[in-house]
Amino acid sequence: MRIFKNFGQALRGLRLNRASTFLMTLGVMIGITSLTVIVAIGHGVKTEVLDRITNMGFGPESFSIIAGEGRMFFTRSKNTTSMTLEDAENLLALPTVQLVVPRQRKRLRIINKKEFTNTRVYGVTPDWQLARNWKMKDGDFLSDSDMNQKRRAVVLGATPTRKLFKDADPIGKMVRLQNNFYEVIGLLEEKGLTESGYDPDDRALIPLTTSMSRLTHATHLHSIKVVTFYPSQVPATMENVRQILRRNHSLSVLAADDFRFITPESIMQWVTESEQALNRMLILISTVSLLVGGIVIMNILLVSIRERVREIGIRRCFGARRSDITLQFLFESVMVSLLGGIMGIGLGLAISFGLQRFDIFPTHITAEPFILSFLFCTLVGLVFGIHPARKAAFLSPEESIRAQ
Amino acid sequence: MALIEMNSICKNYKNIGFETRVLKNVRLHIEEGDYVSIMGPSGAGKSTLMAIMGCLSQPTSGEYILDGQEVGKLNDRKLSRVRNEKIGFVFQAFHLLPGVTALENVTLPLIYARQSPRGIKEKARALLTKVGMEHRLHHTAGQLSGGEQQRVTIARSLINSPRLILADEPTGNLDSKNGRETMQTFDNLVKEGTTIVLITHALEVAQHARRIISIHDGQIVSDSDREEKTEARVL
Ligand SMILES: Nc1ncnc2c1ncn2[C@@H]1O[C@H](COP(=O)(O)OP(=O)(O)O)[C@@H](O)[C@H]1O
Ligand SMILES: [Mg+2]
Repeated sequence: MRIFKNFGQALRGLRLNRASTFLMTLGVMIGITSLTVIVAIGHGVKTEVLDRITNMGFGPESFSIIAGEGRMFFTRSKNTTSMTLEDAENLLALPTVQLVVPRQRKRLRIINKKEFTNTRVYGVTPDWQLARNWKMKDGDFLSDSDMNQKRRAVVLGATPTRKLFKDADPIGKMVRLQNNFYEVIGLLEEKGLTESGYDPDDRALIPLTTSMSRLTHATHLHSIKVVTFYPSQVPATMENVRQILRRNHSLSVLAADDFRFITPESIMQWVTESEQALNRMLILISTVSLLVGGIVIMNILLVSIRERVREIGIRRCFGARRSDITLQFLFESVMVSLLGGIMGIGLGLAISFGLQRFDIFPTHITAEPFILSFLFCTLVGLVFGIHPARKAAFLSPEESIRAQ
Repeated sequence: MALIEMNSICKNYKNIGFETRVLKNVRLHIEEGDYVSIMGPSGAGKSTLMAIMGCLSQPTSGEYILDGQEVGKLNDRKLSRVRNEKIGFVFQAFHLLPGVTALENVTLPLIYARQSPRGIKEKARALLTKVGMEHRLHHTAGQLSGGEQQRVTIARSLINSPRLILADEPTGNLDSKNGRETMQTFDNLVKEGTTIVLITHALEVAQHARRIISIHDGQIVSDSDREEKTEARVL
């Protein structure tokens, strides 16, 4: 009961000393804000990457080759123009390779009369549908003859379909990409938004040959997807692919690969590595900022106690034990720390939301920062509150009431 | 048995380099129910003596027995309990908690009481009514006049029904009307059986008490009780 009463007195103390209460929360608030944002970014990037893996339609028996040096799809790369259709044909000749899907991509405006939208336009071969195992909602997928004739035909994902045609039937209608009209021959089945807000249906597919001659005006590929027969064939196949591409691109022994492999494992490995780096940063930043926050609390509390010597003396006169005074000020520091934590989480959530909303960073909110903040703040409050609290408790009652 | 029994109490304050001897061999017994005033010039050691009486500080040497308990042997817990249950303080500078209502100031000692009896609020209200403050229950200390503040502190000192009231110059910050009213309250309390020790340097205030003790430079220089005894012996 006594402990609740001391808690009540602490609340009253914080209410009556609003200015120093507010100042005390600032340090912790900044610490918890950065912690919340970092955790949210960490989870956001991870979710986005995992989404991309699923979106790429990777089975365990397939992998992708992306043109250009570097790692994964995040780093900006050089030498991106060396991969060709001939490479793709050579790869298909490997005995362990079941399918090869060469691809070009470009983000473009697609137009139907007055309606238009920006979407990802891919130049692909008919095998794309097999490799992705993506069903049609209506019409047909691109065929070999479409490829051979460089036909101006397009298969639309659900998102551009909705934006361009509303309720009308799009099959057989013409849409415009740059200066050419394309006939809509098929519609892809809708997959829906992923957890991180990525839209896999936001795409349009045309024959690779058409893309080369009319969209990119270039013959180099942006990526090739390779599907083997069994998952166990992937590592050896990757090695063979590497040799073929290096030879085709006439790379000297010392030169780096001008292409990148992407497999579910390599992505997962990258995710793990980045997660570890992020965690190290998280530990460093939270430690430093919470230490600073704690020192801020301790110092302001010490000043506040000096101003409140009389109050302490009065309480002691009327029966407060040292332990009562200790508890009161300890409660004050813990509550102020938790208050800073709550404010920090609020601010952190707002920033995380903003980063996501304005496409600066993918973020994802989890329960983790809430639990972490609660623990950290309680700890900071206790560790940095105990010294001022004991100092207050050990003031002499006589001298405290004499104080002016 | 005396409520207060002080034998050869000395109190020194140690500061860097030198020591101030404030109380020198004070011997003082006060019976339960007595009304005592302690007089003396400023700096004589009155407040120091009261702090020791009120268990707010320990004497440098000597023995203090309060209500049969040797105070020097008590730890912080027990001292706090003695202050809480047996003593009510009234100060010259009032010492109300700032920013807190009169009612809450009066109930302050109950926060630290071993058990808070039911009807605390009613009791606090009754005490404030008794001192004529029923119309200012929810005013904070800053919103009250000096006389009103002193009445609240008296109500506060009474909330735990203490045996001993220690008042350090209670009229020092009051005008004569409020001073008279405060003394009236003390006079009534004594009639109800409370022991009161009153510190003052005004003779007309001191004369409310039954017994007057004068201290000078840390020593008792006169005690009306002892004089009566000597007078009796002379006669
Ligand atoms: N903490 C202290 N350190 C040194 N001297 C002190 C301290 N407290 C009080 N004194 C001295 O003790 C003397 C008596 O003080 P006090 O008991 O307050 O006198 P009174 O209440 O009779 O005016 C004064 O001379 C004062 O300066
Ligand atoms: Mg004094």
